[in-house]
Amino acid sequence: MSAVTSIGTASTLPARFADLEPWVADWARPTRQERYDMRLSKKYGELEEFYDAIAPRAEEAIEYLNGRDLDDLADDDARLLQLLYSMILVSYAVNVFMQPRIPDSGAAFFNTTAEPAV
Amino acid sequence: MTELQQRLATGKGKFTPLYEELDTGPVSYEDSISPEFFEAEREAVFRRSWLYVGRSERLPRPGTFFTRELNGLASIVVSRRKDGVVNAFHNVCAHRGNKVVWQEHPQEESKGSCREFACKYHGWRYGLDGRVTHVTNEEEFFGLDKDALRMPPVHCEEFAGFIFVNLADDPVPLRTYLGDRLLELEAYPFDKMTQHYGFSAPIRGNWKLAVDSVCEWYHPPYVHARFIDKDIAKAEKMVPPPDSYHYDLFTPHMLTSVPGPPPLPPREPGTAGAAARDQKWVYRLFRAGLFGPDDVPDIGPLPEFLNKGKIKSWGNDQFWLFPNLSVQIWARGFYITYTYWPEAVDKHTYDIDLYFVPPKNAQERLAQELIVDSTIEFAMQDVNTIEATQQGLSTRANRQFHLSDQELLIRKFHKTVRDTVAAHQARDAKES
Repeated sequence: MSAVTSIGTASTLPARFADLEPWVADWARPTRQERYDMRLSKKYGELEEFYDAIAPRAEEAIEYLNGRDLDDLADDDARLLQLLYSMILVSYAVNVFMQPRIPDSGAAFFNTTAEPAV
Repeated sequence: MTELQQRLATGKGKFTPLYEELDTGPVSYEDSISPEFFEAEREAVFRRSWLYVGRSERLPRPGTFFTRELNGLASIVVSRRKDGVVNAFHNVCAHRGNKVVWQEHPQEESKGSCREFACKYHGWRYGLDGRVTHVTNEEEFFGLDKDALRMPPVHCEEFAGFIFVNLADDPVPLRTYLGDRLLELEAYPFDKMTQHYGFSAPIRGNWKLAVDSVCEWYHPPYVHARFIDKDIAKAEKMVPPPDSYHYDLFTPHMLTSVPGPPPLPPREPGTAGAAARDQKWVYRLFRAGLFGPDDVPDIGPLPEFLNKGKIKSWGNDQFWLFPNLSVQIWARGFYITYTYWPEAVDKHTYDIDLYFVPPKNAQERLAQELIVDSTIEFAMQDVNTIEATQQGLSTRANRQFHLSDQELLIRKFHKTVRDTVAAHQARDAKES
């Protein structure tokens, strides 16, 4: 199950997005590499489930996060943002490739050498 | 032609015949599979050209440094001296040749900030200019000329915030090497784009084949079909016509300008529409796509050196700085660099770096994330094709290959490499 915040509540997301809590453990990940590894580790159906859960809440989440200072995000806000990063990565698998891995990409991979802290 | 193709068509004739130095005959790809050519290329091209090693933002203050492993060429330190000047030197101790600057793993690159570099082996120290400042137990040596001891210097110059090195003894100055057309790049506000993403991929293919793979727009309906349309016949009809591009060959460098879709108009929050399993909906939601954000940052007026071919729906200008750097300036206010580092005739490292204006809010941040992810998803599709080409070429079952008009950059690029090798070998023969 997902981690418990320092203040001891069960939700690790902003209150109005508490229903997305089941996705936090796998998908609220701070680095792109972790998010990509997660995509590759999942079955296609699991990616569909994640996409279908996040996509209907995405516009509201963007609007909510737009009211926050990116350089000073609370942990729960940062996790919500990371869920949206994961949604973007998963969207190619669900909407373009219909499978977790890019077809014909074989062993190809890109190491991350630089990415923003948030 | 489709409506889109009609809109972008210019009615220009063929491009290749405009360039006297280019023929239109079949080409050999021996330059990508011959180990002998690879060695000659390393000497003639990579040991004698200005090579891009990193952006100036990596050295924000005096005392900051990074190392680069230029495989098969050199191991270097690039640092900003106390006087603010960026310089470079070989990462080799004057005592017994130990690599001086590294952390944890000697093979890996490192970065940091310091007053001096200390060799981990016997404690010799070097200043930020690579000169020896301290020799441990100096009195035990024999006739050391301490003032002459240093990590050997490497020619290093900056241009528009791009740091280049040159391993030749006496290279032409960087600005001479770049020439007038590339010097115009200095008018672009690269320094405003400090939000940086970097990626690196090992590729089992010759580095020139990787350059080839992004020098033409003949392949997208096939390699990237799923992004365009699942039906290849439809995908073929959705790419811009060949005459909508613009090319400029200014040896040894070159340029191509590429059309792209215009940004979507602004929209009120809450109008993205119902969630759908449709990538076009994802692009609408996050307000971005492969060609950039829909909300374009204000970076001032577009410098005049861009889109000189006056493409109607301009997407980007791709400047090829010989030999191994592509700087892509996109219409929607960001830039990307590709860098190719050969390791063997059939192996290289491909670096992609993307730079944006720092995002003001989550919407802009997410748009950038989507551009980055799209770029890498596309690049992943190209990578395996390069490896497949290497495999096919190396059989030598075919020895002559055919380049169409829109592949003129490929024709030109390989010729420039071959000419550079031949010129170097001719000079060598004359001198000996």
